[in-house]
Amino acid sequence: MNQEKIRNFAIIAHIDHGKSTLADRMLELSGNVSKREMTSQILDNMELEKERGITIKMNAVRLNYKGYEFNLIDTPGHVDFSYEVSRSLAACEGAILLVDATQGIEAQTLANYYLALENDLEVIPVINKIDLPNSDVEKVSNELINTFGFTKDEIILTSGKTGEGVDKLLDAVIDRVPAPKGNKNSKLKALIFDSVFDSYKGVIVHVRIIDGELNFKDKIRFMSNNSNYDITELGYTTPKIVNVDKLSSGDVGYICASIKTISDIKIGDTITLDNDPCDEPLKGYEEVKPMVYSGIFPVETREYDLLKDALEKLAINDASLTFIPETSKALGFGFRCGFLGLLHMDIIKERLEREFNLNIILTAPSVIYNVCLTNKDMVSISNPSDLPPVEKISYIEEPYIKTNIFTPIDYIGPIMELCENKRGTFRNMEYINETRVNIHYELPLSEIMYDFFDKLKSVTKGYASFDYELIGYRQNRLVKMDILLNGEKVDALSMIVHKDFAYNIGKNMVNRLRSIIPRQMFEVPIQAFINNKAIARETIKPLRKNVLAKCYGGDISRKKKLLEKQKEGKKKMKNIGSVEVPPEAFLEILNLRS
Amino acid sequence: MIKSCYIHIPFCKKICTYCDFCKFYYNEEWASKYLVSLENEIKLKYNNDLLDTLYIGGGTPSSLDISLFEKLLKICKTFRLNNNYEYTIEFNPEDINDEKLSLCKRYGVNRISIGIESFNKDNLKYLGRDYTNFKEKIDVVKKYFDNINVDLIYGLEIEDKNTLKKDLDKILELDVPHVSCYSLMIENHTILNNMGVKPIDEDIDFDMYKLINDKLKEYNHYEISNYAKEGFESRHNLTYWNNEEYYGFGVGAAAYIEDKRILNSKNILAYINKKYNSFIEELSKTDKISYELILGFRKTKGISIDDFYNKYNIDIKELYNIKDLIKDNKLIIKDKYISINSDYLYIENEILSNFV
Ligand SMILES: Nc1nc2c(ncn2[C@@H]2O[C@H](COP(=O)(O)OP(=O)(O)OP(=O)(O)O)[C@@H](O)[C@H]2O)c(=O)[nH]1
Ligand code: SF4
Ligand SMILES: [Mg+2]
Repeated sequence: MNQEKIRNFAIIAHIDHGKSTLADRMLELSGNVSKREMTSQILDNMELEKERGITIKMNAVRLNYKGYEFNLIDTPGHVDFSYEVSRSLAACEGAILLVDATQGIEAQTLANYYLALENDLEVIPVINKIDLPNSDVEKVSNELINTFGFTKDEIILTSGKTGEGVDKLLDAVIDRVPAPKGNKNSKLKALIFDSVFDSYKGVIVHVRIIDGELNFKDKIRFMSNNSNYDITELGYTTPKIVNVDKLSSGDVGYICASIKTISDIKIGDTITLDNDPCDEPLKGYEEVKPMVYSGIFPVETREYDLLKDALEKLAINDASLTFIPETSKALGFGFRCGFLGLLHMDIIKERLEREFNLNIILTAPSVIYNVCLTNKDMVSISNPSDLPPVEKISYIEEPYIKTNIFTPIDYIGPIMELCENKRGTFRNMEYINETRVNIHYELPLSEIMYDFFDKLKSVTKGYASFDYELIGYRQNRLVKMDILLNGEKVDALSMIVHKDFAYNIGKNMVNRLRSIIPRQMFEVPIQAFINNKAIARETIKPLRKNVLAKCYGGDISRKKKLLEKQKEGKKKMKNIGSVEVPPEAFLEILNLRS
Repeated sequence: MIKSCYIHIPFCKKICTYCDFCKFYYNEEWASKYLVSLENEIKLKYNNDLLDTLYIGGGTPSSLDISLFEKLLKICKTFRLNNNYEYTIEFNPEDINDEKLSLCKRYGVNRISIGIESFNKDNLKYLGRDYTNFKEKIDVVKKYFDNINVDLIYGLEIEDKNTLKKDLDKILELDVPHVSCYSLMIENHTILNNMGVKPIDEDIDFDMYKLINDKLKEYNHYEISNYAKEGFESRHNLTYWNNEEYYGFGVGAAAYIEDKRILNSKNILAYINKKYNSFIEELSKTDKISYELILGFRKTKGISIDDFYNKYNIDIKELYNIKDLIKDNKLIIKDKYISINSDYLYIENEILSNFV
């Protein structure tokens, strides 16, 4: 394809504003997918995406429209997956910025718009869902004009439901999004923007060819580590797989090369030709910094290697997942994993359970604390149980964030109250129009990790949206709280809390643990300790009855089945000392602050 | 050689709120057809073994009209019984009368099991059962039989320890040689479950259990839920707990024959049409040991170490997870028997789940 006729663009928006649905219509219009084959949000091909109705992974597809080659990337809208968005944008020249005609600009609209600008992309503003009776095109147009400086006639109106305006939008992509600039005759430079592990084909890498040409017979080289591979397959998706002999500058496609050594692949790396390499790699991506860390442990210690293998494979498909080995006295060998947020953590947990069939325990998420020691050394810890002894600590700092909270003005009061309760400091407020504002608060990151989203949703009836950026570390009166089960400290339950809240959190925590840990054959005390001082205590009463009283007319198989069921239940438990603890107990802190 | 046999009569005149047994409203036509099929099933499967125990349960066998009742007893004449046999039939108190009892006597029945469940009118109403003058009824039974069992149910949400105590006093007054006490279970597909009733607090349940043990001291507490005067232990039920083989005839009946556990179809129409298709579980040696343990430990005396050895050629004390349990004092060895420490009897599933 003539490079002049290639258009590479991503669809970006706030969560649920209709990106994936609009992509459906584009695929239909270009004839890639027939009406009969069409399913809703066809690019959300992961089971979890379908179930939750959200996009988790970016997805690149190629379509042909009026003689042009379009490479479209559908992106996720949720904050936790914004790394997917920024990686997608680096493979594009343009972005379609969708705004829901009934909602207007939301927190991620803003965040994603700025990401597009950072990448020098041509942004096409689109107001979507205009078929809805409560859509307010006029108002949303004004928001786009006032907030981002678009002009009225730049804005395109669409409905992902009826398909209205989609042809105009594709025409605008042809007119406004620049063709890729690369040079076909230069040495090969291909950017890896995504990858996935396939048990038959090895690692599949998704690339954007920046310069040069890649042929099926070529031997490729990964520039970060100089490993080389013979190509076994070249192609693109429509979303069906289409094999090709060649990918040239401007193209988006994928490469297979029987890559089984997962560590050879780095997202953001540059691929070049082994026998004719380029001099300089591309700039690549900034590494993502996880926001929260949690320990992941196998329930059965012997599944450690399986867990390791699973995490490696998942990380290939999720560049924002990090993990390093960790040991817990209570839980044994596992990994300390970094996530971009709690949804991200939850998704990884589910994928490990479903795609890899593992029984795992996640420990309470924690942010990274900076601990200044009495000898003036500074250490960073992501695991509360790693906190040095109090007498060695001079002070502790925790990460702070600045919020963008988009809300109708009616909810300003409740939102401020919520933020104050979360140890927040008010900064300022911007008016988006007469009825909506963007509220800026500074909050400890640890406070928004737990129930902030849910609380925000409930105090604003779902009308507010939320985004944040890290703004640095601040000193606070923080202490470590330990939990003792049956007299034994359980490191995996330790947490760092603000001193003023410690007593309440401790009381709640032991109370919740008491209700979540089933009765055992003996009495089990649960205690919360701060600096070796008990601040709360509960007792799990001993089990009193677990017996099948009657054998009906000799139907004894039934009794055995019941015992088998009980045994299955026990298998899911983790033995801490001699106490059987359900895996959920370690995440109970999430349900705590409510 | 099979020594025991269970016969299931699935008809009841009234359905109790807690009942999830295999039962149907009594209907003379169905009952009569049922007996025909029952007779056929016995003819088909019974190998003429000399039986030690025969047990007719339900449902409510006593709900059959007198002629059908006699027909049932006649059918059971097929079985060969040894000289020292135990032959039980279950009665609902309302059905007790001289006519039925003398028939029983004539046909060789020698043990009567009566579902009293409670003396308290509120309890009975809650359970969906009728009140009668139980004392009078038992006196009638005593004219014909001395081997009598009565059933009691405890642990209703409307019941307190005082009510239970009164029930137990009344039981003692009856002066029968065998008592079964069952804590109310809220099973799926029962009226109580449909009403959303939840089991009572386990601490209260356990207290009630202790109260029962206390009140029934003059009885031998020989199995979790069963209490008997010396020599009146239910030999039929001991067949189950000793993991010995038995026949089971009738709809939904369970049998254990030639290393197979067999469960008849619960479909009464199919049964009447002589389709006895059943669910069969073939047992390996490990399965048999598993059953031996989960059943045997229901007995307070426990499992005979010698018998176990003779049966499986294995020293039970050395079995993989039994060793630890002995060390933990959860299992106790005494007089060549191994049993559950009585402190753990009421939570025996915690221990038994190690054996499946
Ligand atoms: N009425 C109407 N509903 C739409 C339209 N576009 C999307 N929807 C609905 O809006 C919801 C979200 O649509 P998606 O396409 O999944 O949104 P998304 O932006 O991809 O969401 P994320 O990937 O999770 O950020 C779904 O229930 C769609 O059916 C539209 O144009 N009109
Ligand atoms: S409990 Fe007994 S008498 Fe009551 S319905 Fe069930 S089988 Fe019939
Ligand atoms: Mg989507």
